[in-house]
This record gives sequence, C-alpha cells and structure tokens, in this order.
Amino acid sequence: MRGILGLLLLFALLPFLPLGAWGAFLLDVGLFILLFTALALSWDLVARTGQLSLAHGAFFGLGAYGAGLMVPHLGTLPALLLGSLLAGAGALLLGSVTLRLHGLYFAIASLAFSEVLRTMALKLPFTGGPIGLPVPPPFGGGWPLASYYLAFAVLLLAVALSLWAERSSFRLAQAATRQSEAVARVLGVRVVRVKLLSLLLGSLVAGLAGGVYAMKALFLNPYEAFSLGRAVEALVIPIFGGLYSTLGPLLGGVVLVGLEQALRLWIQEGYLVVYGALLILAILFLPRGLLGLLGGRRG
Amino acid sequence: MELLLQTLLNGLLMAGVYALVATGLALSLGVVGIVNFAHGEFLMLGAFLSYLLFAFRGLDPLFALGLAFLAAFLVGALTYWGLIRPVLKAPELNQMLLTFGLSILLQNLALLLFGADTRVVAPPYQAATLALGPFFLGAVPLGAFLLSLALLLSLQLFLTRSRLGLAVRAVAQNRLAPGLLGIEAEGVYLLAFGLAAALAGVAGVMLSVMLYASPSVGFLFTLKSFAIVALAGLGNLKGVVPAALVLALAEALVSTYLPGGGGLVEAVFFLVLFLALVGRAWRGA
Amino acid sequence: MRKALGLLVFALGLALAQTPLKVGVILPLSGASAVAGKAALNGIQLAADEVNAQGRVRLELVVVDDGTDPAKAVPAFTKLMTVDRVDLVIGGLASGVTFALSGPVKQYGPLFLCIGAASSVVEQAFEGYPLFFHYHPWDYHNVAAALQFFQSLAKDHGAKKVAILYEDGPFGSAGIGVYKQQLERLGYQVQAEPYKAGSGQFTPILTRFRAFAPDILYWIGYDVDALPIATQTRQVGLRPKLIYGAPPSWPIGFEKNPLSNDVAGMTAWLPTVPNAESRRFVDAYRKKYGELTEEYMAPMGYTIVKSLALALERAGSADKNRIAEALAGLRMNTPFGPLAFKPSDTGRTKYQGFGPEIWFQFQYLEGSRRPVFPKDKAARPLRYPGEYYLR
Repeated sequence: MRGILGLLLLFALLPFLPLGAWGAFLLDVGLFILLFTALALSWDLVARTGQLSLAHGAFFGLGAYGAGLMVPHLGTLPALLLGSLLAGAGALLLGSVTLRLHGLYFAIASLAFSEVLRTMALKLPFTGGPIGLPVPPPFGGGWPLASYYLAFAVLLLAVALSLWAERSSFRLAQAATRQSEAVARVLGVRVVRVKLLSLLLGSLVAGLAGGVYAMKALFLNPYEAFSLGRAVEALVIPIFGGLYSTLGPLLGGVVLVGLEQALRLWIQEGYLVVYGALLILAILFLPRGLLGLLGGRRG
Repeated sequence: MELLLQTLLNGLLMAGVYALVATGLALSLGVVGIVNFAHGEFLMLGAFLSYLLFAFRGLDPLFALGLAFLAAFLVGALTYWGLIRPVLKAPELNQMLLTFGLSILLQNLALLLFGADTRVVAPPYQAATLALGPFFLGAVPLGAFLLSLALLLSLQLFLTRSRLGLAVRAVAQNRLAPGLLGIEAEGVYLLAFGLAAALAGVAGVMLSVMLYASPSVGFLFTLKSFAIVALAGLGNLKGVVPAALVLALAEALVSTYLPGGGGLVEAVFFLVLFLALVGRAWRGA
Repeated sequence: MRKALGLLVFALGLALAQTPLKVGVILPLSGASAVAGKAALNGIQLAADEVNAQGRVRLELVVVDDGTDPAKAVPAFTKLMTVDRVDLVIGGLASGVTFALSGPVKQYGPLFLCIGAASSVVEQAFEGYPLFFHYHPWDYHNVAAALQFFQSLAKDHGAKKVAILYEDGPFGSAGIGVYKQQLERLGYQVQAEPYKAGSGQFTPILTRFRAFAPDILYWIGYDVDALPIATQTRQVGLRPKLIYGAPPSWPIGFEKNPLSNDVAGMTAWLPTVPNAESRRFVDAYRKKYGELTEEYMAPMGYTIVKSLALALERAGSADKNRIAEALAGLRMNTPFGPLAFKPSDTGRTKYQGFGPEIWFQFQYLEGSRRPVFPKDKAARPLRYPGEYYLR
C-alpha cells in the first residue's frame, strides 16, 4: 500500500519537481506511463477472473474514437465519459455472448472482436475512415497540464477500482472464478455476473485511457487506435510487474514503459532487441514479476 | 458457375499454407502446451533463408525447403531447450510473455541485420500457371498446397504409425500418462516443438516465393493461424485442416463476391471465427 | 567602409562556422516507416558531413527516433525542445505522427522543416503556423501528377478502362474518391477494390476484374504487394496493357525479377536521373555508405540539410526567424530539380517546397527503372501495351 501511495504521490507532484531540463520530457513520458499503466490495471482487473482479454486494444480504441468524435460538440469531460461508456457497451456486448468461453478461447474471441471493430472504424461513414480523425486537445488547449492530470485521474480511478476489487469480497469471487468456475458456483459465486462486471469495469477504465490518449495524440486512425500491439502491451505490463495485484501492474507500467523510452533514447537502433531480451530474462528469473523482487508478500 | 468454381479453387489452395502454419502452432500447443507467439519468427527464418540463398548463392528456393526445415527445427529445438523447458511448469501467462519477448527479440534482430525492406526472389517458375479448361491454377500455390498436404499427411502417419509418434500423441492426450508408460516426455516435447518450427520454416520458404521476405512477413499468418487453431479446438491436430479450409473459403468467397470485399476479408475471417467460438460455447455448455 | 563591412561579415561567418548550430532530427528509425526514415537519416547525415567539411557553417545533429508512433514521437520531440534546446527541427515523415507533433510544435515554436507527411490533413493541422516549411509535395500534388500520366495514356494510347486496387489503410484510401472521380472525368471507366496490404491475396479480386478487362491495372499500396500482384495477374489470366503502381518504395531485388518487366510506377527520384545535383549526391552517397540507395527520402533529407545550410549562411545568424526568412527567399538546385518555397495551393501553409513537377513515371525495363513520362524527363518511350503474359 505504501508503495502504491508513493508512486501516486510521485505522479501527482511530477510537474512541480525540480527536474531541470528533463522536466518537460519526463512529463510527456509520464503521461503515457499513466495511460498505459491504467490500461494494464484495467486488464489485470479482468484477468483476475481468469479471462485473458485481447480486447483491451478495442476498448481503448472505442474510448478514443468516442471521445474524439464528441469533444467538438460536448466538451472534454462529457466526451471522455461518453467514450468510456461506449467502451463499456462494447464490453457488455462482448461479455454477454462470450461468457462461457475460457482462457485462450476467450482470448481469441476477444481478438476477433477487436479486429471486427477496427474494420468498422475503417468503414463507418462518420469516423474519418482510413484517413483518420483529428482530435482537439482537452479544454481547447488552454491549460498545458490538462492532459497530464486527466491521465493521472484515469490512473487514480484504475487504482481505486483495483484496490476496491482487491479488498472487498469481490476479490474472493474473482479468485474463485479464476481457479475453477464450477467450484465457484458451488460456493455461491454468481460467476456470470462477476465476469461481466469485471469486464465492464475494465473496459470503462480502458475507454477513458483511450479518450485521454486521443486528446494527447491529436489524431486517430483505426490501425493505431485499435492496434493489437496496445492489447498486448496491456497484458505484458501486469505479467512483468506481477499479476492479480494493484502494485504489480503499477510497477510494471512505470518500469516497462519508462524502460522502453529510455532504451530508445540511449540505444536507438535495435533497442527492441534489448527490450525483448529483458522480457525473456524477467520471465526466466522473476517468475512472479517485479513483485517477486519485493520479497513477495501476497502473490 | 465458372467463377464460383475458380473461387473455391483459390480458397482451397490458400488453405494449404494456412494449414501448414497452423499445424505447427497446434503441435506446440497440443503437445507442449505452449502458446507460441514467436511462431511467425520461425516462418520469417525460412523466408530469409530462402532469400539469402537465392540472392547470394543463386540457389533455387526449392533447395531452401529442406534446409529451412532443418534450420528451423534446430532453432525450434534450441528454443525449447534453452527457453521453454525452464518455464514448462510456470503459469500459462508467463509462458506467453516469454514467447512474446522472443518474438520481439527475433523480429528486431532481423531488422538490425537486414533492415525493414521487402525482399523478393525470382525463380523461373514463379508465375507459371496451369490452365485447366477455363480454370487457372498458379503452379507455385498449387505446389505449396500439395507440399503442405504431403507434409501434413506424413506428420499424420508419423503420429499414428511410429513409436515416437505414438509417444507424441500420448503426451498430447495426457501429460501424466507417458511418465507411467516410461516415455521420456522431455524428448517428445523437444521433438514436437522442433517439428512445429520446421513446418513454419517450410511455410516461410513458400511465402518468400509467393509474397516476399521481410522481418514482418510472419505476423499476418501467425494471427490467422491462431484463429484457425482456435476454430479447430485448441491443440486438436485433426481439426486444423478443416478449420483452415472453412476460413480460407470464407475469405475467397467474400473477396470475390462482395463489392469492396477485399477490405472486408479480415473482418469476415474474424467474424466467422467469433461466431463459431461463441456458437460452440453455447452448444457445448 | 565597404572593406570593413566585408570584414565584419567575414568575422560573423567565422563565428558561425565555429559555434555549431544544433539541429534536431526526428525520424521513424523503428516501426512501420523505418525504411524511409533510415534512408532520410542517411541523406541528412551525408549533407551535414559535406556542409561541415566546407566549413562555412557548422551543423550539429541531434537525432531521435519517433518509432512511427505518436506515444513515442511526442516525448522524443519534447526532449529535443527542452533538453537539447534546439530551435530547428527536421522531421515529420509519417503523416499520423506529424499530426500528433503539431501540438508540441505550436507549443515550443521551432523552425520545422518537414520531410514527408503528404496527407493534406497535416496541412490543416499546421495552418497558420509561421515556421512550417514543407518540402515534400502534398497528396493532391501526387494525384495531379498521376492524372497527367493517365491523361496521356488515354490520349496517346487509347486506354479506356482502369481497375484500381487500393490498400485500405490511410495511404491507399486517402485520395481514392478523388481519383475515381477525376479518372472518370478523363473519360475512363473505373472499377476500384480495396484490399489488405501484405496479405498477398489478390487472386479473388483479380479474378473478378477479368470480366471488366481493364487496360490499366493500377495499384495503390506498398512494396509488399508488388510481387504478388505481378504473379497473380498472370496466374488468373488477366491481361492488362499496363500494370501501374504507386508504392512509397519497391522491393529489393524486384528489378532482377523478370516479372517486374514493363511494370510502371511513379517516383520523385531515381539514382539514374540525369541531373547534376543528383549525380553529385549519388557519388557522395556511394562514397560514404558504400552502396546505392533507391529511396527518394535519402536525397530529400540531403536536400533539406543543404537548403538549411545555405539559408544559415545567408542569414548570417543562428536566429530561427532570420533563417526562416532566408529559407523563404532561397532558390537552389536539388537532386529533384529546382527548389523554391511558395504558398501551398490551398493557401493553408506559406512555405511549400516541391509540387507535382518532381513526380515522374518510370517503367521496369531490362532490369532497371527508367523514366518514361513526362516527355522532358523520359529516357525511353513507354512500352504500351506491356507484356505480362505467361511464359
């Protein structure tokens, strides 16, 4: 818990820390760390029920497009909310037809779901199609720190949801569902509801992250917004940091996203070779993720 | 009618290569129990081998077929021995992250060595065509189809007739039993993983002739192979060919008959898959 | 007095030559546009070497990778601005990334020398930004250049039907509506079909095109599609009189493949173009890198640095506004032909470098690419109809 608070405090104060020349750069890196970490936490939230989602790229994209399309008409916050709700609707749709699928089957079904959605974003008449969709910055661009603190708010929400799920009886329901649905049913867990609720909560956060991303990237195209790469990143971070926890994805996000940016700056050509090697080494020597390093209290 | 038959032929030929790539994936999943995200990189290995032999030694890609089989087998076996074996008992998600890391590593190694450029080979038969009455069959796609078929059949024979093959199947069906039967599960895993890579390597050579060689050549086929393997039932080797056929035919039909269908191929592919998975889950439960 | 002034200018020049001007370079060195990005960087570094060797001005490059990804490009750009404190940036190759950079560019206000980003959406994003110099032609210039060719094909060769294959990403689909309309205005019958780049499955679409019997098979996509289209066109028995493509680059080894023979395409530059600047560039490039490049982004990067050095010299100051002023008034010869900045056709941006005139059509003939259109650039007559038969 102290670790979580410390990290959050660090992010809250980042714009005011005396970082000298690197301040603005770190702030930009920090913003993307916040967004991708929130996405990772939202994935972990779903993973805790044993569902391996590859649809988080799609939720992210739905949120991004929803917010991007609505910002000019509704303003920043309502647009973000709407984008998030759009992602939630997508999750309900996906969840309600796939709730009987497990593990890899669910993974592939959710992958198929996001491929279909991406094609829709390409073909629908109001999305800007393959050319893409320009998105204005938050609050008309008047406040430079706006997107940073929006991203921070998304992460706060993700952490709050994750902590709630970790500390309430919901945790047991999720864990039981993950370990064996049959047993969970016997224990009186309403498996379907637990899975659906987890997916819904996860998608809402992912959608918000997508919306803020759109307002920072200023431009969306279906290939990028619905990218499979994003979905995979959402799953890599929690595994790297430590699954089924709040601190794990949080640590994983800070280290992994930060590491990628740093490697790209210092090594430049071929930095991804090192990145890939680090992932392999992490799995071989830190099977429980970064959390394992901290002397594993609870897995 | 003619168009329909030609379309079905097109789909059939495509299904061969799909099935070859997907069978490898199904082998590593069904026997070793590993979701291998780096499967496409074995395919890339074959494609680059074919390109390099052609560009620098002037060797026909046909020679590369055997070499790619061996090289990919070796790399696959090494991968198993060095990376997969230590995580065999680790959670599934850890294994996935490991193969994902391997995929990033290999792909970017290729980028460093060869750059992102698209490279092509030029064997004399590349565009050769058989005309059967009103129908056209590309010689290379037909050859690739037949070779895929032959490889899959010999794999089937190997699995059902040879002692080693039976051991592989035994392991696939039950991971505890082989130990009781005195079969070395580790050796079987090594063999299965190597074979899976070898099939991808051969497919890579085929793709270097039909399409191109580049660090990203494996991606699309691996993605579709995952879909095929899921449709077949994870790890179910026998279901792979029919599943590949269903998806390849769906693709061919959509892109022939639907106006603007070429842009919808992917969506239809995944829609079919999605519906099949969901349908089976509801029936099965 | 004049002598004193001359001395002063000389001294100023010397000062400039001694304190290097830091130039930020932000290019896709990884990700989808890495091939073009690396080519551009090679050209930029070559030009910087030459400029520094001449000694009139000194440039110091600070290179960052934008990863062809906004989430990587924005922090990298911010780093250039705040850590490296450059006033001048060369970059902006992929359109989507360049659009994302429009926010931070406006925030920090550097002189931005844009190397690519042909999409006119980018032009809207930089509308009103005073220090935006766009060297590459806009997409509507590309369309105009291709249409000129089609007009000649209709008039001189009697072509009537075009079948278009376009990839369904931003590259292929951006101008497709306009293309169709304009081709129809030229009197063509048009059928257009989208496809997914890299899938290599053209057989079904090409089979369908057979009934249409097009004179021209026009494909708007990437290098990965070149060979599959050339083979599968033959395999389905389609007999176009011309296969014409517009990918940003072509596969390595394609020219040695007999299937490439008679395939035509559009480019802004070939290493063989008979232009003094281009020859000089090709020689210098070979000397530095030991090989030839076919990517036009290499001379584009080279051109940008050369023009910057000249402007810097004329401005006699490292101030970005003075350099911009000098750049705006610059006229110079480049591997692409003459360069001079003028307001863009839409009037949205003030400094547009090249236009439709740099594009020309080539054909793969006897194992190499040779210019065939327009007439003033043609080294050979266009082979029409081309031979794409079974062998």
